Amino acid sequence: MTVSSAASVESSSVALLRRLFLSNYLVLVLTVLFFISLAPFTPGFASANNLLGILAYLLPLFIAAIGLTAVMITGGIDLSVTSIIALTSVVGARIMTADGSGGSAAFGLCAMIGLGVALGAMNGLTVTVLRLPAFIVTLVSMMFLSGFAIWLTQSKNIDQLPQAFLQLGKHLPFALTITAVPGIAVHLLLRKTVFGRWLYAIGQNATTAHISGIPTRLITFAAYVLSGFCAALASVLLTGRLETASPVLGREILLDIIGATVIGGTSLFGGRGTIVGTFFGVLFLTVLDNALNLLNLSQFSITITKGSVILFAAVLDTMRQRIARQTV
Amino acid sequence: MKRLTKPLLQFAPLLLFIGVLLFFGCQSPRFLEVRNLINIIVQASSTGIVAIGMTFVLLTAGVDLSVGAIMFVAAAVAGKLAVSGRSMFLILPVMVSVGLCVGAFNAFFITRLRVVAFIVTLATLFIGRGLGLRITETRAMNLPDSFLMIGSFRWLSVPLPAWILAGLLLIAHLILTRTPFGRQIFAVGADAEMARKAGVRTKTILAGVYLVSGVCAAIAAMVSLGQLGAVSPKFGEQKEFAAIAAAVLGGTSLFGGRGNVFPGTLLGALLIQSIENGLVVMNANPYIYPMATSAVIFTAVVMESLRNRVRRSSAAVL
Repeated sequence: MTVSSAASVESSSVALLRRLFLSNYLVLVLTVLFFISLAPFTPGFASANNLLGILAYLLPLFIAAIGLTAVMITGGIDLSVTSIIALTSVVGARIMTADGSGGSAAFGLCAMIGLGVALGAMNGLTVTVLRLPAFIVTLVSMMFLSGFAIWLTQSKNIDQLPQAFLQLGKHLPFALTITAVPGIAVHLLLRKTVFGRWLYAIGQNATTAHISGIPTRLITFAAYVLSGFCAALASVLLTGRLETASPVLGREILLDIIGATVIGGTSLFGGRGTIVGTFFGVLFLTVLDNALNLLNLSQFSITITKGSVILFAAVLDTMRQRIARQTV
Repeated sequence: MKRLTKPLLQFAPLLLFIGVLLFFGCQSPRFLEVRNLINIIVQASSTGIVAIGMTFVLLTAGVDLSVGAIMFVAAAVAGKLAVSGRSMFLILPVMVSVGLCVGAFNAFFITRLRVVAFIVTLATLFIGRGLGLRITETRAMNLPDSFLMIGSFRWLSVPLPAWILAGLLLIAHLILTRTPFGRQIFAVGADAEMARKAGVRTKTILAGVYLVSGVCAAIAAMVSLGQLGAVSPKFGEQKEFAAIAAAVLGGTSLFGGRGNVFPGTLLGALLIQSIENGLVVMNANPYIYPMATSAVIFTAVVMESLRNRVRRSSAAVL
């Protein structure tokens, strides 16, 4: 009797652990645990100011990761996001500083968004019409666009942007809105619409999806356009926050964006991923980055820790997939 | 029309290479001088060597993003040892072992824990860069002249880096075409499940290609050190993209099972380098280098995909 009840207690705690381990909120739980365990030792970690800082830092990363998530769900990848960020930043800045008139901020903003959409469309067309691997297409556009941005500015930054534009990135409520609206929209798109289901279907098996009548090319194309659009929004936030347009803007966050998306549970092989998961992934990386900076660790420790954490998250995710499959 | 385009597409990378040579040859007579052509090979050698290892990995449908970081760690260790006065006979084997160790680290996570190669090697990239920065203490490090010998030593008036590239190409080509290991790499890349059922030890093969890639990156670091004579914090950065581009230009598929190091990867590496060299000879604005290079890579990849489509459609007719 006692033996069996002990066994049942044990099995229920195992079941609880198992449920936690398999839950979609694992990354969030890990982030919170990490935060709580580090907060007493890290001066200023839990202060309101720092939390706002984390939020401001997180928003552009998250926006760019939203588009990447959609692309990765179809089984593709977009390595050109940060180059699109850089190019839209300098082109927008060029337009806004061309003449001193007040209306140019709005025009510059539209130009940035339009350019982001156009570049995303270019990637999408190349992937779907020429049927080239997304890795190579976006690798080439990464090289080309970042080269173009540097050439355009002769590798100089562009300052003195209109205040109205800078506020979009600097003023937190604006930045929050710019991020939340597409975030929620894409979340609903993935969860509630046929478009979303088609994206997953293409990622799981493009041939089956095509045979069952899904316009695979159009949907894949749309994913890259979305990615370009999101990159342009991220560019608005980053340019505003730094108060300067730079042809190498965002260059160092490419691997962070991909890493965060994968930590958030999006599969590199397509067919799996959510916006909520991506948000947790971005939150996790940002909190980690912030803590390491506050602890005054050197650049190399930060880089090593980040790499180890990405690896750890990937191992965890692989194990979860295996257990989940066995359970089914 | 089809009769004409088919053979044209068959030799797409070669034709593109000849086209680039002719174009720059017309722009500047200096470009086609033997000295400059040798120069191109020498400049392409470190990328070419990394790309040889990358080809092995790509053939199994994997990818190794950590090669640039491996180069940095190997060079940093070498720099540290050289500055403290150790001899080259110790340093070079140590560099190779660094490459082997990082390759083994990648292989462990990919084959034992079955994590996707893209993510494993992405993480190794971060860890390796961090380690390298730690070893060099984020400073540039000048190496003793004995290292520059690797870059400047000549045999039959051809510099050593070109010989190293040629030697490695020969070995890699023989391994891929003449050994069971080579054939099994293709088998695993074409269909891993099928290969496993046919009795191929897929995990051993996979581990093998990441070790090869690590060693190639370490050797590329030696060559690069011999040419530069210094380790900077940017050493080897973005090398992974150049290597992937070279391999893909040479007709290696990212989906595994198709490709070769000779002539493919060699042509790819030479093509990329000759564009850059040609632009230098032409005195072009340095800012257009990356745009020109990526445009040519794009053209080559498009031609390659058209070629595959022609091949597939003619197979369907049969």
